[in-house]
Amino acid sequence: MATMTLVQAIARTLDEEMARDEAVVVLGEDVGKRGGVFLATEGLQQKYGPDRVIDTPLSEAAIIGAAVGMAAHGLRPVAEIQFADYVFPGFDQLVSQAAKLRYRSGAQFTAPMVVRMPSGGGVKGGHHHSQSPEAHFVHTAGLKVVAVSTAYDAKGLLKTAIRDDDPVVFLEPKRLYRAVKEEVPEEDYTLPLGQAATRRQGGDLTIVYYGTVAPEVLQAADELEKVSVHPEVLDLRSLMPWDKEAVLEAVSKTGRVMIVSDAPRHASFASEVAATVAEEVLDQLEAPPVRVTGFDTPYPYAQDKLYVPTVTRILGAAKKLLDY
Amino acid sequence: MIKDTQRFEPFTRDPIALVNEHGEWVGPFDLDLDEEQLRTLYRDMVRARLLDERLLLLQRSGKSSFAMEAAGHEGIQIAIAHTVRRGFDWLFPYYRDHGMILALGVPAVEIFGETLATRADPAKGRQMPNHPGSKPLNAFTVASPIASHIPPATGAAISAKIQNTGQVVVTTFGDGATSEGDWHAGVNFASAQGAPVVFVVENNRYAISVDLQKQTGSENIAVKAKAYGMPGYYLDGMDVLASYYLMQEVIERTRAGAGPALVEAVVYRYGPHSSADDDRLYRPKEEVEHWKQRDPLERYRRFLERQELWTPEWEAELREAAEAELARALEEAEAAGSVPEVWMFDDVYAEPLWPQIEQRRLLEEELGA
Repeated sequence: MATMTLVQAIARTLDEEMARDEAVVVLGEDVGKRGGVFLATEGLQQKYGPDRVIDTPLSEAAIIGAAVGMAAHGLRPVAEIQFADYVFPGFDQLVSQAAKLRYRSGAQFTAPMVVRMPSGGGVKGGHHHSQSPEAHFVHTAGLKVVAVSTAYDAKGLLKTAIRDDDPVVFLEPKRLYRAVKEEVPEEDYTLPLGQAATRRQGGDLTIVYYGTVAPEVLQAADELEKVSVHPEVLDLRSLMPWDKEAVLEAVSKTGRVMIVSDAPRHASFASEVAATVAEEVLDQLEAPPVRVTGFDTPYPYAQDKLYVPTVTRILGAAKKLLDY
Repeated sequence: MIKDTQRFEPFTRDPIALVNEHGEWVGPFDLDLDEEQLRTLYRDMVRARLLDERLLLLQRSGKSSFAMEAAGHEGIQIAIAHTVRRGFDWLFPYYRDHGMILALGVPAVEIFGETLATRADPAKGRQMPNHPGSKPLNAFTVASPIASHIPPATGAAISAKIQNTGQVVVTTFGDGATSEGDWHAGVNFASAQGAPVVFVVENNRYAISVDLQKQTGSENIAVKAKAYGMPGYYLDGMDVLASYYLMQEVIERTRAGAGPALVEAVVYRYGPHSSADDDRLYRPKEEVEHWKQRDPLERYRRFLERQELWTPEWEAELREAAEAELARALEEAEAAGSVPEVWMFDDVYAEPLWPQIEQRRLLEEELGA
């Protein structure tokens, strides 16, 4: 066991995967000499050279598009987008090329690649360094989407993503990069996509979340315990595929559910979970599903701390569910 | 083999041509292709033209939904198919390259299968007509969004370079593509990396209806290469021999480590942009007629006749053979039968995820009822 932050777990995992498989290459802005603006690729270029850790031009379309061609040609590229907010110039490459290459070619060509990006708010970054764009990717068939919140999951799921034969968008909560150190096993391990982690067991209500909001959700869960409300808390970790079975099972047990994320509400992933719950286990519900999300505004600067769902807001939602 | 002497200069004022409109060789060096090579170029241009006609006919008769004509583009397209190392080098074509794909060696039955969305389509009926691709021949399946294949072409070239495979990537696109951000992204990255990729614009002067003057203020497209630090060749793409010799030189120079290059092949499309277009709305008939006088097939036919390599009998023979090949392929593609409905759920991912599995079941219930 070693103790490390989430971003250190990312760097360590990239190192291990590059050592394991020569086909794994890293590309992005500042990933080489600088080791990434968040140091997620620290030391890799010194170790593996500029051919395998490529400092690219400042062009997300070039980064993601080239990764598609590299992947089709036999490499396993891991592209870094400096902030998820900057993925949009490369969005067409994700949507039109990466997501559809297997499909449009009848599986003659494939794009086994990972696009990592720091996502989410809470870092005083304003609307161009704080967004959580996962809904765009989940809405695009052909992409797999991961949204981790712990160092342990980051290692296990990044390994899975790199070894996966499909393009994976890997969202990293930048606010949690260095928030805590936790124990991460030194040995090689992978975690399956589409499997939620149960963070708390309880029978009174279910809290489903992923990514950036983890600290608020877990703190709110502790507060609830203090007043003898026992929440079942599920960290989805993976959004495409997502663990529908675990969610429906938990909701069937508790009869009450809230979904927490810091993405804007409309057409959000939280909405997808709420709709699925309503469609499939309505008869098990004691109260309507509640979404606790970011607001339908651009991510604000001055009100940074209010945009990500607060503990107060989560507790308010719990009260609403319990009082219904 | 890279030639000791470089035959072509980049950034010429006029398009590079080796055969004039009367079919006379005007090249500054001696022709060194043998008779069979010379005849093959003509045969493949005729096959491309006949394929073009058949694809249009399939659309007009209602058998396919769409057609994009390539008549007028054959010179550069056939030259590329004959200067890459087939099945070794990679091609990233665009949607007007079916003649090139055929000459590359992709079986016509696959092209018709793709056109008609039958089981003969290696891509399983997933795309509109004019979007072929072939893994065995390293021809990256065509995507509609303009220039979106340029960064992937660069990526494949970087991969070839990293792995030291000796492969060259050739990517083709229309003049409109050069205005896209993705075009710049791909060309610029290739330049920064010295990636072995040759960018070829089939400049037919129109992006649907928008003419070249409204596409760019640049004097031509080839000169744009200068700013990217690579040679830009201005080529008469309706001269198959000039296209052949130039592409051979550029591809082999790139293979030898000279880095990327840009080739502007000046061509003209005789037909509208697609079967959904009406070109009478934006260009005069006289202009089309003018360019037809420069037809790549006719110019090269005159050349072969001067070389005593062409006779009306041979022409009739090769047309008959090509027609028979295409007729057989079309028949085979139709006989393969349409693709099953539930195939739409395959190849979204390597293995279907639960949404595809659930939704496939829903469709099966709907169809089974």
